[in-house]
Amino acid sequence: MDSKHNAAVINDMIRRYVAGAGDIKPQDWTEFVAAQNDGYRTGPEIGEKVPDFTLTDQYGKSRALAELTGPNGLLLVFVRSAHW
Amino acid sequence: MKNLKARGVNVASISYDSREVLRAFADTHKLEYPLLSDVGSKVIRAFGIFNTNVSEDNQMLYGIPFPGDYLIAPNGIVRDKVFLPDYQYRPTVSELMLRNFADDTGGSAVEVATSALTARISLSTDRCFPGQELGVALKFRLRPGWHVYGKPLPDNYRHLEVVFDGEIVGKQSFEFPPAKPVMLKALGETLPVYEGEFRAIGKLGIKWSPPPEVKFLGDSLGKRIEPGPYKLIGTLRFQACSDDVCEPPQAIRFELPLTLEADAPPAASKAD
Repeated sequence: MDSKHNAAVINDMIRRYVAGAGDIKPQDWTEFVAAQNDGYRTGPEIGEKVPDFTLTDQYGKSRALAELTGPNGLLLVFVRSAHW
Repeated sequence: MKNLKARGVNVASISYDSREVLRAFADTHKLEYPLLSDVGSKVIRAFGIFNTNVSEDNQMLYGIPFPGDYLIAPNGIVRDKVFLPDYQYRPTVSELMLRNFADDTGGSAVEVATSALTARISLSTDRCFPGQELGVALKFRLRPGWHVYGKPLPDNYRHLEVVFDGEIVGKQSFEFPPAKPVMLKALGETLPVYEGEFRAIGKLGIKWSPPPEVKFLGDSLGKRIEPGPYKLIGTLRFQACSDDVCEPPQAIRFELPLTLEADAPPAASKAD
């Protein structure tokens, strides 16, 4: 699938969902999920180093990777959103 | 989470949300770990997991990652990771911990004992959501002088295996260590066997149930699995032999309790 097609499928689902979801069929939903997951990438492989970063946490505190990591490591969870 | 802390592993999450959204979400769900705000998705891009299927004009979804978890060692090297392209089975953190730290799981466990062996079967957790994948730890101890069979094996013998069945069981797979080929004098054959103590690990998918946000689709995506207490039923199959006696193949049923959680409360509503 090409990226234009995926983007169109995703946009269409969001539009219909926001409009009340009344006309969404099961195959539409399956297509939407497939469009979102097309070409799924998983980033650094096991054994590779992750990029360093510093981000702000929910309290506004600046947090660097090294400082976030515990004595045995860090479970870093990438989520789509905490908002929906 | 307690399990992680006890192992010296911290937790943090990253999403494109603003600090305010994350604060509200953390307060609602009483989350104490750092929820990191990656507005503009710089870090998501740096990890190479930016979801390019979403176009820039999609104000709701643009910026999301392909979701997944990394277990990062103190030196910054990826020790393990789980990503979820198959959205119906989501590996649990408890499975990841089991794989990496051989935790004696913290989930429900059952012990099966026969004259020839003891098997301890434990789950990585005793509660989960439909669609999650659990870790299964198997610990075997054979009585001295006894063995069970591994694979590959001629048809007239029974290899060691564990199989779960029942209404909530989805796909499953087990990794056994390689069995040692041994010349068995009484049989005059060389067969792969296990002796002494050994472990195996497995993955057990709990059937997916349509999430609350697609309730409008009814049962058309699959039957809803109601929350509550369940019993996972499994069978341990093996054939135990000693140097001079071979027992007939056995199939022992066992049960493990598992509680399926109710749907998580809507993530967004309190944040608005």
